[in-house]
Order: sequence, then C-alpha cells, then structure tokens
Amino acid sequence: MADKNDVILEVRNLKKYFKSPTGTLHAVDGVNFSIRKGETLGLVGESGCGKSTIGRLILGLHQATSGEILFNGRNICEMNKKQLHALRSDLQIIFQDPFSSLNPRMSIGEIIGEPLLIHNKVHGKAELNAEVARLMDVVGLSARLFNAYPHELDGGRRQRVGIARALSLKPQFIVCDEPVSSLDVSIQAQVLNLLKDLQAEFGLTYLFITHDLSVVKFFSDKIAVMYLGQLVETADSTELFQNTLHPYSQALLSAIPAPSSRQKMQRVKLIGELQSPIDPEPGCRFAKRCLYAKERCTGQDLALRDFGKGHFCACCQAGELAGNPNFN
Amino acid sequence: MATDVNKKKKSQAAAVWRRLKKNKMAILGLVILALIIFFALFANFFFDYDTMVIQQSAALRLKPPSAEHWLGTDEVGRDILARIVHGARISLPVAFITIAIATVVGGLLGAIAGYGSKRVDNVIMRIMDVFLAIPSILLSIALVAALGTSMTNMVLAISISNIPPFARIVRSAVLTIKNEEYIEAARAIGASDKRIILKHILPNCMAPIIVQATLSIAGSILAIASLSFIGLGISPPTPEWGSMLSTGRQYFRAAWWVCAFPGLAIMLTILSLNLLGDGLRDALDPKLKN
Amino acid sequence: MDDKKKLETAAPEGSAPYAQAPDTLLDIRDLRVEYHTDEDVVYAVNGLDLTIGKGESLGLVGETGAGKTTTALSVLRLIADPPGKIVDGEIWFEGENMLRAKPGRLREIRGSKISVIFQDPMTSLNPVYSVGDQIAEVIHQHEKCSREEGRKKAGDMLEMVGIPRARYDEYPHQFSGGMKQRVVIAMSIACSPELILADEPTTALDVTIQAQVLELMSELKEKLRTSLLLITHDLGVVAQVCDRVAIMYAGEIVESGTIAEVFDHPHHPYTIGLFGSIPSLDETAEKLKPIRGQMPDPTVLPEGCAFAPRCPYAVETCRAQRVEMTSAGGTHLVRCLAHQGVFQAPELMEEVRHGR
Repeated sequence: MADKNDVILEVRNLKKYFKSPTGTLHAVDGVNFSIRKGETLGLVGESGCGKSTIGRLILGLHQATSGEILFNGRNICEMNKKQLHALRSDLQIIFQDPFSSLNPRMSIGEIIGEPLLIHNKVHGKAELNAEVARLMDVVGLSARLFNAYPHELDGGRRQRVGIARALSLKPQFIVCDEPVSSLDVSIQAQVLNLLKDLQAEFGLTYLFITHDLSVVKFFSDKIAVMYLGQLVETADSTELFQNTLHPYSQALLSAIPAPSSRQKMQRVKLIGELQSPIDPEPGCRFAKRCLYAKERCTGQDLALRDFGKGHFCACCQAGELAGNPNFN
Repeated sequence: MATDVNKKKKSQAAAVWRRLKKNKMAILGLVILALIIFFALFANFFFDYDTMVIQQSAALRLKPPSAEHWLGTDEVGRDILARIVHGARISLPVAFITIAIATVVGGLLGAIAGYGSKRVDNVIMRIMDVFLAIPSILLSIALVAALGTSMTNMVLAISISNIPPFARIVRSAVLTIKNEEYIEAARAIGASDKRIILKHILPNCMAPIIVQATLSIAGSILAIASLSFIGLGISPPTPEWGSMLSTGRQYFRAAWWVCAFPGLAIMLTILSLNLLGDGLRDALDPKLKN
Repeated sequence: MDDKKKLETAAPEGSAPYAQAPDTLLDIRDLRVEYHTDEDVVYAVNGLDLTIGKGESLGLVGETGAGKTTTALSVLRLIADPPGKIVDGEIWFEGENMLRAKPGRLREIRGSKISVIFQDPMTSLNPVYSVGDQIAEVIHQHEKCSREEGRKKAGDMLEMVGIPRARYDEYPHQFSGGMKQRVVIAMSIACSPELILADEPTTALDVTIQAQVLELMSELKEKLRTSLLLITHDLGVVAQVCDRVAIMYAGEIVESGTIAEVFDHPHHPYTIGLFGSIPSLDETAEKLKPIRGQMPDPTVLPEGCAFAPRCPYAVETCRAQRVEMTSAGGTHLVRCLAHQGVFQAPELMEEVRHGR
C-alpha cells in the first residue's frame, strides 16, 4: 500500500452536520480517504451529496463537526487562525463558477496579485506586477488583460484567472471544485489540459470534485464515489470503470448519455430521486433507490470493505451482484 | 459571450456614466442640480449678502415681480431671488452633511450587522427598528426640541433620523454579497475580515448606497425646510427656504410670490435629486449591464 | 415596423414561395436575428435554414452564444423587441408564415400547436398555483371544457409523465428538480402539440435524473409522434433522443444530417473539434484535443467562414468568401470549402475518413 510518507492529505472519519429547521443535515457523514503527493483524487457525486462541503472543510472554510483532516501530518481541524493563515500558501481552491468567484470591482491584475499582498510574498509594486505577469503567462492569459475587469472576459478566461489566483502562492495541493462544469465543451477541454500541464510542471496534488464521470475518468488517478454524505466506492480510475462494484456507481455510469450513434442508452439503474440528507436512517443510504436492496441493507451503517487492488466498496452485496443479469 | 480584448478598457464609472447619459430625465435632474449648485457657489457674485439679503427696506415691502426684482420682494422689502439663491447656501450643504453622517454611521452599522454574528445583527437591527417606528420628521422635531434650537442640533437630529434606512439597505446588500463565491475565495486566500469588508463587500454595495444617499438628500432638504417652517431650524434673518415659506404664508393672499418661489425652489431641488437618484439606480443596476 | 412590412411583401399572401416537402412541419429559411444594444449590434442568427418533418426530432447543438435559443424563440416570435429584431427570413409552420401571423393567431399557436420546455424547471413554474392547476390552465387556454374535464385531463398528463394523480394539488416547492421538469413536460404535451421546442431541458438536472427525464422524453416521442426541436450543448443527449442533428456555430448551421451520418463521420472541422473536446468513457487519453481560441465576438463576426480563425485547416480563401452548405452524401450537409474541393486538406480528409 501507499508509503506513509507519500501521503499529503488524509481524511479520517470526517463529519459535518448543519442545523436546519427540520432536523440535522448530515452533509458529510464519516468520510475516510487519503491522497498521495502528485496524485489526483476525483470525488464524484450528484448535487447535495456533500462533495463541495468536503472541499471547504479541507480549506478550513467550514469547521468540521468531528474527525480529522491531516495535511502533511498536521490536523487542519485543530488549527488556530494564525496556523490556518499560514496553511493558505500550501492549500488552495479553484471554484466552480468563474462568474461569481471573481470580485467584479477588481481588475484581473488586482485579483491575481491579492494573495501575494496578503501573504507579503512580494516587495514593492514592480515585483508584484512582474509576478502577476508571470502567473498570467503560466495560465495562458494575454498580458494586456492586466487592467481588464472580470465582466469583460468570457468564462474560459475567467476560470484561468481563478487558476492563476490559486497558483500565486505556489501551493502543493489544490481543491478543484467543479472547475469546468460551467464552461462550454471546447473551452472545458482547454482548461482541463491546462490543469494537467500545471500538475506536471509544479508537481501539484489535486482533489478534483465533479459530477461528471467522463471528466473524472480522464483526469483522475483514483476515484471516490459519494452518495448522501458517505463514500460508497473508491478505486483506481481504470479499475472502477472496468469492475464497478457498487450499484450506485453502476447507476451513475449507466446514466451518462453516450455521444455515439451506435451506443444506445441503457435503462437507468435506480429508482426515484435523491433522498433527503436530513436525519437519515441508519443503513445503506442508497437502499431506497437500489434495484437490489435487501433487508440486510438497512439497520446499520456500512463501512468500506477491501476488495483488493486498492478497491473499496460499501455495498453489503458487492461482489455477489456480478451474476445478476441487470448488473453490468 | 466572447469579449474582444482589443477594445479600449472601460472602467466601471465610465460604464455607469454611459448608461446614465441615455436617461434623459436623469440628465435633466443633473443639469438642474448643477445650476442650483452653481448659483449657490457664486451667490455673492450675483447678490450682495448685506445689501440685498439682510437689509430691510419699508419702501420695497411686498412688491410683485418686476424687472428690478424678478421674483418680487418680501414683507420687509428684501429681494426674494437673492434670498432664494443665498438660501441654497444653507440648505444644500446642511443636507449633504447630514446625509454624509447618516451614510457613514448607518453604512458601518449595517455592514457590521450583516457581516457579524446573529446576536450583533439582532441588537443593531432591533435598535434601528425602534427608530424606524417613529416618523423621521417627528423624531427630528423631538430631538431638536430636547436638545435646543441650533444649527448643530438640527444637523444632528436629521442625521440620526436618516441612519436606520441606511443601516437596513447596507445590511441587506451585505447579506447578499456575503454569500457570493468571491467572498469565499477571499477567505480561501487568507484575507482578514477587515479586508473582506472594506475591499470586497463595501465596493460591491456602493450602488444601493449611492442611490439611497441621492434620494435622502432630497428628504433632508425637506426636513430642514420643515423644521425651519415650524421655527425649530434656521432662525431669521438667515435666508432659508423653509423659514421663508413660513413667514411668507401670512401674506400669501395679498402677495403670492412670497410663498410660491421659495416653495418652487424646494420643489425643483428635490425633483432634480429624485430624477438623478432614479437614473443612478438604473445606471448602477448590474443586471442591465450590456 | 419597417422590417415587418418588408417581410410581409417578401412573399405573396397565402402560399409558400417554394415547393415544400409534404411532410415538412417546420421550415426556417434564411433567418436573421439581431440584438441592438447600447452601442453594438449583436448578430445572433445569420441566415439559418432548418427543417423538421412531422414526427421527427432534431437536435440543435452549439455552444454558449451560438444562437440556439434565439432560433427557438424566433419560431414562436418570443424575441424581446427591443433589443431583438428578426431582420430577415421566413418561418413556415404547417404552411403558415409565423413572421406574418397576427398576435391573436400567435397566441392560439403557442401552447396548443407549438409548446416550449425551458431550461430551468425551478423558475418556469408559478410557485403560487398547484402543479395540477397550472397544467389545467394550459388546457383551458386552448380547449373548451368544463372544470372537471380539465382537472381529469391534467391528472392524465401527470400520470403520463410518471407523477401520481394524488399529487395534483401539491405546489412546485414540494417537488424536486427532476419532478418539476416532469410537470413542465406534462404542461407542454397537455394540448397535444405538433411541435415541442425543448431548450436545454436537462442541463439543470443531475445525471441520474437527467437520464430518467431523457428516458421519459424518448418514450413520449414514440407514443405521441410529436416533432421535437431539442436544443442542447450536450452531444450525448442528442445522440440518445434525436433522429437528426444540426451543429450550430456563430449563428449558422455548419453541419447537419442523421445521427449516424454526423456522429460516425463528422465532416466540419468544428464538429470534429467538439468531439475531440469530450473526454471519452471508453478510451483513456493523456490529453484532450480542444478547439483553440474562443467563440468569435458576435458584434464583429469574421468575414467568410466564421470558424476560420479557429480552424487548423483554414486557408486564405476561407476568410474571403461566405461558404454555402453542400451535400456530403445522403442527407448530410456541411458548410466547408475543403469539402467543396476549393482547396486540398488531406489531414482533414483523413480525419473524416477515419470517423469515430
């Protein structure tokens, strides 16, 4: 298994509950995973499954209810303000919506330079401008956009600004929260390629949060599938697609409309709609929508089980379902 | 939508001005206001204060508008036009100062209420609610009556009665902006609360603040006039529109011009500010942006 | 107003100027739509030709700003004027020119003969009426029937889209996103229209919900034999739901044909680029092959082929002249000079022959 020293981020039994008028919302409910240096972990799930909350917990933007987030061996959940502030240089985030994640009243140069000013990384205006110009070049923004405002840019260029801002502090680890899902396909491919190039160039580690399985397959080394606050399956990227164990992962895969004239869509392999994450009953969260649910699926929470080759799955029938004609 | 980067850089202010220019009524308001300010600034150049504004003359008592006195004279023979022009030198600065105070104090209270914890928010906003429950003119009257009649007290009274609306507007703007992703982005790069409020939140709620300020100045002019009208504001012989109106009303049947022209001056100023305020609201609305 | 007059005189009263195929339902010819803003003119649709046969479903694919939505809104004359303006073209629906129809006639057609499904199910339902009543309202708009009949029919529609009749009196906020979109679909089929315009109907939904809604739409299409114009940016959605596809770029169609024709052997460099930009689930690639550059500024469109500035094969001629659609065999049409033999592009031809 992974060399202990190689692990840059480890999440242990992480929980985040929100109080809501109708009960407790279990946004993240006992999540474990680890990411090795230079690797990309794709975190996949539908809206409301808690994947973005995990990203914000890692950055210390939310306070965890319980559990540990170890970054280079230090627990982020127990850090004070000062330590968190220092951590920002190593840990950054790229947001989903390039339209709302840039302050409309600041110029592109100001936005990219702001982290450098806050962390006193540069001395004097000349050095700041030179560094911002360098960053703009790295992400492929033309230098004449220095004084432009966000509303003058299209989505792809705005997202490049967001990437440059995240890179400015030379972080080791970047949380990418759906960085391409609001972009057009042709622009999406440009940004994905850029993120891959940057990873190779600066040895970055990514947590890549997305709802798009085809993007995650292209982009990630490992994939974790999330459903209602819990991980249901984690595996290496190729392994997960070749040997899908969990009925929910299976359903997600079956739901992607293939852009091909020969591959017709299969029947969707689940029932009904997303359940509420408020005060969930113990047991498999997916049981109510699962085509194969049995009595033993409910009653007690299920942990991830090891199926070899780094493949973990939380389904209590995992492995037994392969013979079912509907499965695969 | 693709944007051509070759286009000349347009700052936000330029874009606002471009949109404002298209609104004819707003420009009309701006022109009227500019004229009023121009005459107020150069009042001494047109009308000498001592000889025309203060000096009384029994011979010229209640003369109707004529070539010599365009707007007639008042009950002690002073030129009404001269007094109106000099009156602007009182009404406008006092109104601007009161609104400046209200904007800063109200804005700050609103920003703290919106950005701070629920408890801070509750304390500040309930106090504001109490103030809002009393009609602002009544509140001003009560304050001036309690503190005594003087220019400073009047300014203070009108300022205080204008604080709550500002606090409310800024608070609601802050509450919306607080949830924008760029605020989260600012926190993610380690920006302090002070920096987030001053650099990221306040510049983005300037639009409602500017509009509210423009509209409140009109209200403030009216409040000054009202207080002076009932004798709690500026006292004679200082020319002030409200007190001119107040003293003139006894002679209204015999000499309509004594009341009509100061009233018209108040109306024109308020109209111009309201037109400008409405225009600014549309011009600053980011939803209409291209 | 002047423009409308011009349109009216463009064709003699009552008859279509060209012969129309007997089973053509909607025929758009040389449509041009502009938006006049403060200082610019946005050329949203520039000479678009499109036909949809009876019972046929056509996918209109393009990226943001390609003019897809403008096209759909033009069919129903729902373009806000100002700033929008249909400056030229004809839209024939069942032998009637929509651009000359009177407002009263348009209201009759909207909802009963042509209905629309918008992208965002959250905002296309009125929160203060129950979902059943909203469907019944559409029925009462266009058909004379009693309250009970309307209620029964609206209930039937709910069941048809897989919502139990018992939820008739519930309000939109009690429904999830996917369920709301089902209600919107029920509204759109309530008057058994000839044509449904669906503008990104599943973009706001999660994948599994999207799959369920697409399944429903395919079923209804088979059952009701309604024509469908499906607007989307997702090539996968089109492949699963439509018979034919038209690829739109900068306000014009650059390639069209059956799903098999376009998806198996894309001809236009833009279409090829689009397919290269989608990460595949079947193969693993180190790098994607994106289209370089950005969409052209719709206020200053390039002369000649609009895609030329981004096209890896473009030559001088491409930038000089407007390109017409030509046949590439069967019903496959493509707007590209290389395919007209104007210049040689062996690499492009190799890509096309190789197919997907």
